[in-house]
Amino acid sequence: MSKILQSLPLTVTAGVVLTIIMAFLTDQMSTAPTPSEMMDEAGDQMQDMMH
Amino acid sequence: MEQFIVFFIRYLHVVSGVMWIGLLWYFNFVQIPSMPKIPDEQKPAIGKVIAPAALFWFRWGAASTVLFGLILAWQNGYLVDALILKEPAIGFGMWLGLIMAFNVWFIIWPNQKIALGLVEANADAKPKAARLAMLTSRVNTMLSVPMLFSMVSYQNNFY
Repeated sequence: MSKILQSLPLTVTAGVVLTIIMAFLTDQMSTAPTPSEMMDEAGDQMQDMMH
Repeated sequence: MEQFIVFFIRYLHVVSGVMWIGLLWYFNFVQIPSMPKIPDEQKPAIGKVIAPAALFWFRWGAASTVLFGLILAWQNGYLVDALILKEPAIGFGMWLGLIMAFNVWFIIWPNQKIALGLVEANADAKPKAARLAMLTSRVNTMLSVPMLFSMVSYQNNFY
């Protein structure tokens, strides 16, 4: 771990990896639909109404 | 009026956060990598003048970011849900920010005081303290990447 932290590029890369893990966990743990999902759903409904 | 207060607290949270993370990145992207290139006779300018001043704004920037962030979360009604990770999109970011602020006040600052000679310590303690402060500062740089992602994505409803 200290070898990663001694290198600035590796530290930033580790930060990006943690971000991806956090985003995955956020997606798994969220129970309510997210704003993005609600927007997608609203878009689909609009398209259905137009057809 | 209530909406303005929420906005203003968010503004103070962001201003404090820029001060904190800006100085964190200054230490890690500029000061630490530049130290080996600075001639020995000029190093006291960093150790005695610039670093203590930067550390003052750094640690108080961290404290005020956390204070305004907690007030903001309370005003918006998600403080508890975020802390128990019922609202993980912002909860992860809040916990990362809290861990980082803890590191600043309870690991980095006490060890920097020893490393910079601001408190009495024996000669052996200085390099150890400097190394621990540097590695903890690097941990904070690493955590700042997901922390900022969480903050910005939640504010922009992109999660």
